[in-house]
Amino acid sequence: MDEVRFLDLEIRSAHMNMALDEAIMRSIQAGHVPPTLRLYRWQPSAVSIGTFQGMTEEVDLEYCKRNGIDHIRRLTGGGAVYHDYGGEVTYSIILPNDHRLVSSDIIESYKILCAGVVKALDILGIDAKFKPINDVVTGGKKISGNAQTRRRSCVLQHGTTLLDLDVEVMFSVLKVPQEKISDKMIEDVRQRVTSVREVLGREVGVDELVVALGDGFGEALGIELVEGELSAAEIELAESLVEEKYGRDEWNLSR
Amino acid sequence: MGSSTYKVPGGKLLKIRLKTVGYKIEKVTIMGDFFLHPEDALSDLEERLKGVYLESSSIKSVIADFLSKSGTQIIGADPADIATAIMMAV
Repeated sequence: MDEVRFLDLEIRSAHMNMALDEAIMRSIQAGHVPPTLRLYRWQPSAVSIGTFQGMTEEVDLEYCKRNGIDHIRRLTGGGAVYHDYGGEVTYSIILPNDHRLVSSDIIESYKILCAGVVKALDILGIDAKFKPINDVVTGGKKISGNAQTRRRSCVLQHGTTLLDLDVEVMFSVLKVPQEKISDKMIEDVRQRVTSVREVLGREVGVDELVVALGDGFGEALGIELVEGELSAAEIELAESLVEEKYGRDEWNLSR
Repeated sequence: MGSSTYKVPGGKLLKIRLKTVGYKIEKVTIMGDFFLHPEDALSDLEERLKGVYLESSSIKSVIADFLSKSGTQIIGADPADIATAIMMAV
């Protein structure tokens, strides 16, 4: 069975989280580290936007500032995501292009990798499935959003799985014209998005979701997860990426 | 400066910022939650659209030509959708 380095749950800032994903990809390209699965949370809570989105179009930066919520542009396309510290767990999986789990068909590739999230939810007792382009849904509602980039001879896919959902905060962080935040709209989101706790109707802990994600990816992808650590070089590279890119307005506010 | 928001049926959301000169594109910014591989191609596409006539079929063919020649893949929108969104911003 293929071995994949497993970086168990880490808690880091938005800047460092995105910088580490890129640093790992560069290190795999250089042949310094093996294919990697990483689990992480965001502290403080943060909003990430897709690489083609306009920051001020999507995010209420004033609200974020007042409430200590970070903002960051991702390397990947897709939409804005609110990463609540207590309400979600993010994974990233980074594979070289010649890995058997990489398909040249991008939608197929999402399906293959999202199977890890689907299996994790199955382990928790939730019947979920992949919904193209890049979602995992249960009972017709989105529970996980995923995004992929192909650069540096690698595929990097990261995604969030919702443990809990605070629609009011989500709407405050994401820029929706005030007049549109009606009860109906909040109701609409509740009908389109759900969370692990909502589906199971119990206080599922972060740890439980983390274990399920590790086991889910291992089983669904047929990979052996080998506990590992970030190399000193990866951490150093990530820190310089924070300095030069992810910590700067030139990147985060570039659109 | 014009702008538009266009939800692609069955696809992603496109947001456009547009500056025109005469009846041509002076500068266009294409935003949204779509996917483009490779991502860096988007700024090249925006550059390529400068000076193109504000006419749906011209914009569409410039985009389609750019994507095929550069080997760029867009997911969640197609050239016609982007042309529609740009024309909505006029």
